[in-house]
Amino acid sequence: MSPIYRFENPDPASALPDGPLHGMRVALQSTVSVAGWPTDADSAALADFTALEDATVVQRLRQAGAALTGLTRASEFGFGLHGSQVGEAVRSDADAELVLDMMGECRVAAARAGAFGLLPSVGLVSRLGLIGLIPSMERCGLLARSCDTLSALLAALAGPDGRDLTLEEAPLPSLAPLPKDGRGVTLGVIPQALEGLPAAQAEGFRAAIDRLTAAGVTVRELPLPEYNLFDLVHAIVGAVEASSCAGRYDSVRYGHRPPGAKDWNEMYLSARGAAFGTCVKSFLVQGAFFQFERYAAYENACRIRARLVATVQQLMPQVDALALPLADRVPEGATATLAETRAPFASTLLASVTGQPALALPAAGAYGALQLVGSRLGDARLLALGGMLAALCREGK
Amino acid sequence: MDFEAVIGLEIHVELNCATKLFCDCPNRPGDEPNANTCPTCLWMPGAAPRLSQAALEKAALLCLGLGAELQPLSAFDQKVYYYPDLPKGYQLSQAHLPLSRGGSITVTNEQGEARTLRIHHIHMEEDVAKLVHELEGRQPISLVDFNRAGAPLVEIVTEPDFRTPYEAMEFLKALRTQVRYVGASECSMENGTMRVDANISVRPRGTDQMNTKVEVKNMNSVRHVGDAIAFETARQSAAVQTGETVVQHTRLWDPDKKVTLPMRAKFEGPCVPDPSVPAIELTPAWIESLRARLPEMPTAKAERLVKEHGISAEDAAFLSADTDVADYFEALTAQGVTTKMALHWTATQVLPAVRERGQEISACSVTPERLAGLLTLLARDEINANAARDVLVALFESDASAETIVNERGFRQISDTGELGALIDLVLVAEPAALADVRNGVGKAMGFLIGQVMQASQGKANPKLIKELLAKKLKTS
Repeated sequence: MSPIYRFENPDPASALPDGPLHGMRVALQSTVSVAGWPTDADSAALADFTALEDATVVQRLRQAGAALTGLTRASEFGFGLHGSQVGEAVRSDADAELVLDMMGECRVAAARAGAFGLLPSVGLVSRLGLIGLIPSMERCGLLARSCDTLSALLAALAGPDGRDLTLEEAPLPSLAPLPKDGRGVTLGVIPQALEGLPAAQAEGFRAAIDRLTAAGVTVRELPLPEYNLFDLVHAIVGAVEASSCAGRYDSVRYGHRPPGAKDWNEMYLSARGAAFGTCVKSFLVQGAFFQFERYAAYENACRIRARLVATVQQLMPQVDALALPLADRVPEGATATLAETRAPFASTLLASVTGQPALALPAAGAYGALQLVGSRLGDARLLALGGMLAALCREGK
Repeated sequence: MDFEAVIGLEIHVELNCATKLFCDCPNRPGDEPNANTCPTCLWMPGAAPRLSQAALEKAALLCLGLGAELQPLSAFDQKVYYYPDLPKGYQLSQAHLPLSRGGSITVTNEQGEARTLRIHHIHMEEDVAKLVHELEGRQPISLVDFNRAGAPLVEIVTEPDFRTPYEAMEFLKALRTQVRYVGASECSMENGTMRVDANISVRPRGTDQMNTKVEVKNMNSVRHVGDAIAFETARQSAAVQTGETVVQHTRLWDPDKKVTLPMRAKFEGPCVPDPSVPAIELTPAWIESLRARLPEMPTAKAERLVKEHGISAEDAAFLSADTDVADYFEALTAQGVTTKMALHWTATQVLPAVRERGQEISACSVTPERLAGLLTLLARDEINANAARDVLVALFESDASAETIVNERGFRQISDTGELGALIDLVLVAEPAALADVRNGVGKAMGFLIGQVMQASQGKANPKLIKELLAKKLKTS
């Protein structure tokens, strides 16, 4: 049994020798639908569920000639990284992985694996066939060993999908050309994002920023006093969305159904109660509390979210990207409390909440992992910028 | 103490779109169970809803037809409840930002006064699955049919403007007419394409307090809605009088026992915006292009019929209750048929004949053109009214024109004085007693004699001419 994969594709050969991704081996999670595969989202709620059809991203991988290696071991619904092997496949046999990102899983997993991870802009990559918990925040993250690979993947996966009408249909905005080298680049640093970080992470971030400054990059400090509200918005809006829509994983037509219910009304209620694991259930209960007992607080959190989106949008024209720290390790252990599960994602929630693209750059020597947040739909430029800055960090080793 | 009821209605109308609200499955709930399903309307993991443009247009047209104001921004929410007809656990509905606000219908109450009953808002939502309980057999079982799951619905929520069951029933009838006019739904309570819930509270007459309301469901005809409201008003009035507190709950109408009974509450919570369906943004240009497609609505049509054809308001209301009936009437007059004849024949001859044959007046074989041919012969006294009714039957049975039928089957009326005079002479000889009665001033006897002549002519005689000739003969003899 593979320590990384919970399901290995018996026939990973690519059918299309001429596709742009021909020869690329891509690992998936069980939160991404592949027809006939055990797409149970690593949850008892979906035990034995096999997807009826391919997710749009899987269709496009196949059409581009990529080979699908299998499903990596992930946490329940891919929520958090405890007990998860996500990112490990690119360290063994895969060139890339698709990782559901609900609060930063793809970016932290990339940093943990010493790889690059892209959270695409909201509305860029189809969500049809993704099995998640937080519809307004979850996106299909891309994880690979280089920005070039991510660019090729994004080109193959992005774009309108007649089956996911939440996608952007207008042509992508034209992007300002990238400066030739680091001297033309301006990064924004939010001082509040560095408060309360583990010392090693803060140090690694500062070292990376210093290195980039030395290479000529301009760093502009952009105060954002409300920065701590990203966590609050994710904790309330994310949890309420999860609580409201997790009922669709009914544990009746598939999944684990506990015996002994008196009638089917009771059976429906008890099946959902029994199916979810402790951490996910804590998140759902937290959401249920706000939905049913503190609805006004939820509405407030939605308003705050809109304000945060607008505030960050106003910062973007001043810089090429925001630079944020990034955790590159997750405490060992297969299970954790909700608070422990969320702890590594303090710095990734900003992009999850605002819908902007974010790119994880791996640590290089003394420099810690770094996260760049770009303007919405400026994903291609962000990837190019990321490639350039990562090279600068490596050169300075 | 004298109580009055305060009533608001929530009316679900199933739109007659070809497909469901969020997928391309056929919108035919009556098909073989679970035949019209896909991962989206089975609400399987990973499925994404896609709002049907056809359903949006039809719903918006319905709103405009009811005088409602379409909102520039509306959106879907997740209405959470756990019940086996909704395994997904939430229904997509527009709780916070509905498709339209406002609108009203004016009806005439029992006292003959005009009452304008206001609509609070109209929103779209998806229907849930249908539960089928098989009670026969050793063990009763319950089944779920997803054909109806995801079917496009609109819900019309009124203000609590109603005071009597009659007002509620008149409102529902007018609503049904208007929705049929825009072609959005058949609105049949019997078939479940229109479902009505009534929110009822009582208060001492003359006060304006709003008391705790009780919701009543499960009425499957307009009549039942009236009966249920009447029962519930009486029940609550009696309860309040004995000092009982009315608590908010839901009751079911039992049509056999004619009572409302409390039902078990469903678990329900506040609605959360759904991020999977993009918000609906309607531009003024789109709304105006839709408004241009709106047909003439019943009230306007009735007013025009009165003005253009000089018919009574009552007749105009009758005709405009069904746009097809009004169209038929107007097509007849356009063919030169007099207003009086067109009205009489549409209402008392064609409509009953069409219903008897299970046809639609808009699609029946006796087109206004064919009927006009018949009525022209009648107006010219070439046939009499009896014969005309027989010719109508023949028109339903063949494709021939009225003229051909009249000629081939000898329906033409006898207007030849010589021929008729001979028949009258025969009758007068055969009925001496009646003749004597007429002479003695017994009025009925004249009618009897005319009837006898008609019979002798096998129904073909011109009745006016018989009367004239008879009178002449009696005077001279």
